[in-house]
Amino acid sequence: MAAVEIRDVRKIYTRDSQQIVVLDGVNLSVPEGEFLALMGPSGSGKTTLLNLIAGIDRPTSGQVVVAGTDLGALSEGALATWRSRHVGFIFQFYNLIPVLNALENVELPLLLRRLSRRERRARAMLALEVVGLADRAKHYPRQLSGGQEQRVAIARAVVTDPAVLVADEPTGDLDARSAEEILQLIEALHREFGKTIVMVTHDPRAAQRARRRQHLDKGLLTES
Amino acid sequence: MRYLPYVLKHLRRNWIRTGSTVLGLAVCLFLFCTLQAVLAAIDSSLQSASASRLWTRHAVSLVFTLPLSYEPRIAAVPGVRRVANATYFGGVYQKPENFFANFAVELPEYLAIYPELEVPDDQKQALLADRRGILIGKGLAAKFGWRIGDTFQMESVIPPYRVARPFEFVVRAIYDVDLTRHPGTDMNQALFHYRYLYEAARNAYTQAGTYVVEIDDPARAGEISKAIDALFENADAQTKTETESALVAGFIAMIGNLSLLLNGIGLAVTFTILLVSANTMSMAVRERRTEIAVLKTLGFPGRLVLLLIVGEALTLALTGGALGIVLGWATVRTLMNAPFVGALFAGFPSAGLTPAIALQALGVALLVGIVSGLAPALAACRAGVTESLRAV
Repeated sequence: MAAVEIRDVRKIYTRDSQQIVVLDGVNLSVPEGEFLALMGPSGSGKTTLLNLIAGIDRPTSGQVVVAGTDLGALSEGALATWRSRHVGFIFQFYNLIPVLNALENVELPLLLRRLSRRERRARAMLALEVVGLADRAKHYPRQLSGGQEQRVAIARAVVTDPAVLVADEPTGDLDARSAEEILQLIEALHREFGKTIVMVTHDPRAAQRARRRQHLDKGLLTES
Repeated sequence: MRYLPYVLKHLRRNWIRTGSTVLGLAVCLFLFCTLQAVLAAIDSSLQSASASRLWTRHAVSLVFTLPLSYEPRIAAVPGVRRVANATYFGGVYQKPENFFANFAVELPEYLAIYPELEVPDDQKQALLADRRGILIGKGLAAKFGWRIGDTFQMESVIPPYRVARPFEFVVRAIYDVDLTRHPGTDMNQALFHYRYLYEAARNAYTQAGTYVVEIDDPARAGEISKAIDALFENADAQTKTETESALVAGFIAMIGNLSLLLNGIGLAVTFTILLVSANTMSMAVRERRTEIAVLKTLGFPGRLVLLLIVGEALTLALTGGALGIVLGWATVRTLMNAPFVGALFAGFPSAGLTPAIALQALGVALLVGIVSGLAPALAACRAGVTESLRAV
């Protein structure tokens, strides 16, 4: 069964009177447990496609089905609830909340669940252990390196045990060593926990870690 | 409650901004409480007035006095039950800060006209029998620790009553009032025999300050007032007779339309702090656009984001409000006992920051919180996730 099913999706942005076609009839199927890398030049629509899969944007036309749900049929509120349960998002710039420490950042998505504070803390701590940062639980983002911040962001993405993980240039803001550590961690999540991962990257070495690579250019998707 | 730590952490993000906004709100609510306490004291004065009592004074101003010969003529007007001379003495006990209202009155008639002043019979008899005897309110007795038999002196600030030496008084009676039935009645005034003043000052100047008139039928107050004033239409000292509440209102109006002024100040301050608070919240939300987009990406619905931001604004406003109420309460208490200013408060029978005023202030704080947080919260709620994330 496909974890992600994109059918004839078009995405058009309107700037003033000009229409910009970002995705032009894209079709994509990502089976459960797949690790897919999306590559392409800047402005090719990679992030737009990722946003559609994550349910934070809607296509102009076509159908997006993720984890068995047709996202087009959901209201904004229902889509938010769906995101909290089925998708983990890893950003290029980590996007941790600066006033919260690592543990509280990881705990954030769990606030939406009916869990006691103790349960939330236990799960968040477990996620930090998975990414190897249990000893930094009380550290604030400003007290962590870029690589560590991204690890916390990954812990936040997996803490709800989502079906699909989407990563937008997860190594784009890191040095080579930290990037390697993050890629190893993402690989481990795929290999050991069977997560379906869709990763956007510019970096061919990062793309090599994925089982499958797709190339997006001028709104069209091709196998590479 | 699970989101409260999150809200508090955000408020701690910028201590200076949060602190100054809370202080601004506190000052606003402090002013609101203080002004409302003064207004409540004025209202309370008006409430204590009785519809069956008229006051006859000089037509020009309360400052001018009336001849003693007016009293029997007023008493003869149909519908008038009793008349008593009530002359403001302006006595000062030891120092001006100890201000309390004190009147030279015709005590037997005056006490009959004011049955709400409850005086034990034995004390009443002793009071009426002693020319230097003085009747004081329970509040006044408590304030200065006076007991029956104590003596004290007062010197008037009004030139005709400033004779060679201070007037000496003996506390012969202490009155109490059922404030449930007669709210706003002054518990801090002193009443003594007019004849004591008359005899001491007769070589200088002796007239009546005002006459308090009890009438049979409150419905005829207007008609009787006109009849009294008509008696002295062609006299040197023309009179103005009005109901007690009108007199109190007129007395307060001598220092301007206080209610309008105080309410105007309160409204202006509240509106200003609303703008300050709204600006703070707008800045706080604007600089967190990306974080709000991240929350939405994690699955926080727009409605919850809205509630979190309004919650932040409410926490700010209620903290400031609570601080303002405490400040206001402490200030009103201090002012009531402060030199000079305390005399202003003491002029009102009931002054202080009541629970009702505190609740009103909390209501204002709540309103400021909701209104200031709502606009930025709505904008954050409606903002698209992808546009906000792109703004990094």
